[in-house]
Amino acid sequence: MAASHSDAGPETTTDSEDAVSLRDVRKTYYLGEPVHALDGVSLSIHRGSYTAVMGPSGSGKSTLLNLIGCLDTASEGQVFVNGKEVSALSERDRTRVRGDEIGFVFQTFNLMPKLTAAENVALPLVFQGVSRSKRKSHAESVLDEVGLGDRTGHRPNELSGGQRQRVAIARALVTDPAIILADEPTGNLDSETGRQIMGLFQRLHDEGNTILMVTHERHIAEHAERVIHVLDGTIERIEEIESPRRVEIEAF
Amino acid sequence: MEFLESVRLSWRAIRSHKLRSVLTTLGIIIGVGAVITFVTLGASLQADILGQVGAERTPNVYVWSGPEGQNAGPGAGAQPVFTERDLTELRNVAGVSAVVPRGIVPTAAVSSGGDTVAQRQVIATSPASFDSATFVSGRAFEQGEREVVLNEQAARLFESQATVGDEVTLRLASGESADAEVVGLLNSSSGGGPFEGFDSQPLVFVPTDPFYDTTIESPATGETQRVYPTVTVVANDFGAVAEVQESVRAYLADESDAASLAPGDYEFSVRTDQDLVDQLEELLDTLTNFVTGIAVISLVVGSIGIANIMLVSVTERTREIGIMKAVGAQNRDVLQLFLLEAVMLGVLGAVAGTPVGVLGAYAAAEYIGLSLVFPLEWFAIAVGVGVLVGVLAGLYPAWNAARTDPIDALRYE
Repeated sequence: MAASHSDAGPETTTDSEDAVSLRDVRKTYYLGEPVHALDGVSLSIHRGSYTAVMGPSGSGKSTLLNLIGCLDTASEGQVFVNGKEVSALSERDRTRVRGDEIGFVFQTFNLMPKLTAAENVALPLVFQGVSRSKRKSHAESVLDEVGLGDRTGHRPNELSGGQRQRVAIARALVTDPAIILADEPTGNLDSETGRQIMGLFQRLHDEGNTILMVTHERHIAEHAERVIHVLDGTIERIEEIESPRRVEIEAF
Repeated sequence: MEFLESVRLSWRAIRSHKLRSVLTTLGIIIGVGAVITFVTLGASLQADILGQVGAERTPNVYVWSGPEGQNAGPGAGAQPVFTERDLTELRNVAGVSAVVPRGIVPTAAVSSGGDTVAQRQVIATSPASFDSATFVSGRAFEQGEREVVLNEQAARLFESQATVGDEVTLRLASGESADAEVVGLLNSSSGGGPFEGFDSQPLVFVPTDPFYDTTIESPATGETQRVYPTVTVVANDFGAVAEVQESVRAYLADESDAASLAPGDYEFSVRTDQDLVDQLEELLDTLTNFVTGIAVISLVVGSIGIANIMLVSVTERTREIGIMKAVGAQNRDVLQLFLLEAVMLGVLGAVAGTPVGVLGAYAAAEYIGLSLVFPLEWFAIAVGVGVLVGVLAGLYPAWNAARTDPIDALRYE
């Protein structure tokens, strides 16, 4: 799998500082009449940055996330992930980039109900063809990192909401992705658990991970260094947070 | 994605719905079981019948004339058309060692030692029709003598067990009586050949001279001669059978009395032992195929069950498919997972259905009194069918799963 990373070719590379960049991206749905979900968005997300995307529902923030996450393709414009232009890739290669370079964290956790925590975390490695023993040890070490080293054999229904989201975060981390995409990661959690999850993201950011988080809550967005406000398919403004909110990190 | 990992994940999916998987598999178990039961029974029946028929293969060619296009047993509808002159001509055909006529003498009863038993016919033939090895005692009758040969079943008809040297009286259908001496007893397993049927019934044999008096004027010579409905031509050896069969056909078609005596829409049947066995085999095959065909229907129903449950399963696991795709599963991986699940159900059903089928065949064979013959290749075929059924039933659901849009799937509740 690793050999295929050169598939995209060197001529499509962009600024190597960028984990993700978008150039004049449009996404149009045809539902009777054309709907411009994204209407000319250009954006760069630097490596190691912590960005929040805010906007009302229907503003296009989900579409933006889907495009960066290689779940969808732009109608026009270019999307680069870790230097590769994903809009030009075949579905197969796009899936490969998604598996290797993107880590998803969802509001509803989206864990496989019949798999244990460790198996859930190891799932992306299954599709990369990593051997069973390596998957196991790697998944366990990442679970340990997010404070669930003693829950590796538990199934999602045996875990609390916060624990489930930490499993999901571990799964996002396990492939060492270029960017972690978090879609309302605290939306289904009580505020104290949400605070702990934000603390975890903060630590991941401190460790050098690139994070893009979609949220509609101002106080959650303020944990990021930068907030992108999206409205009607365009970037309304980009707000730099001078001193991002910090969670006092307690030991897990 | 590694194949083994797919197997592991699919197996887990099957196990997580135990009752559902068992019920789905049950359809295939019944289908494969039914097919194996009937195929095994068919093969056993065939072996049993052909074993009875084909045990003593002889270099014989059986000749009779019957209605055109009929496909009944040997001698069915035969009319007396073969004259003595025809027999003489046939004896001269190259490769022929003997020509044995066979005619029916209608009777009312046979008496021996004061005991009279009903017997509707005795068989008039020549001494060459007997194989000396089949005699329990005595010898074949001689032409021109008032002698009879009985098989053991016929001897047992009489209270005092007819034996060699006894006098018997034939009550002919014409009302006359004829006395004769028993000169030979045939063992019970030797039937009268294909013309008499293969089951063991009481048989009384007499020489054509003097007992057989169905006669006609030979169209070729003008003489009045005995005329027979069926003839057995014995070839010198097995190698000569095919040639003799051809020569007999050629003679009959052309210059024979039989050709001019036979009704217009009659045709000659010239069959070897092998032909008769083949015909029987064909009949049994048709029967087996028909019954197996019915069993295959249940297999088809079973595979529809798999397809149905796989469709349900794909819908149920839409979100899981979305998750797998989000973390990098290729369409191919998803296809493989679901297809494998269907194939595993199919193979499980086939593997479990095979002993069920064998058991069914065993029970049926016990009931009918057949000895079982297992067509071993069918067990391999059963497993192959399981795979095939799984693939066919799983293909569409798996393809459906593979092309699921991950965005929709992740939102699916």
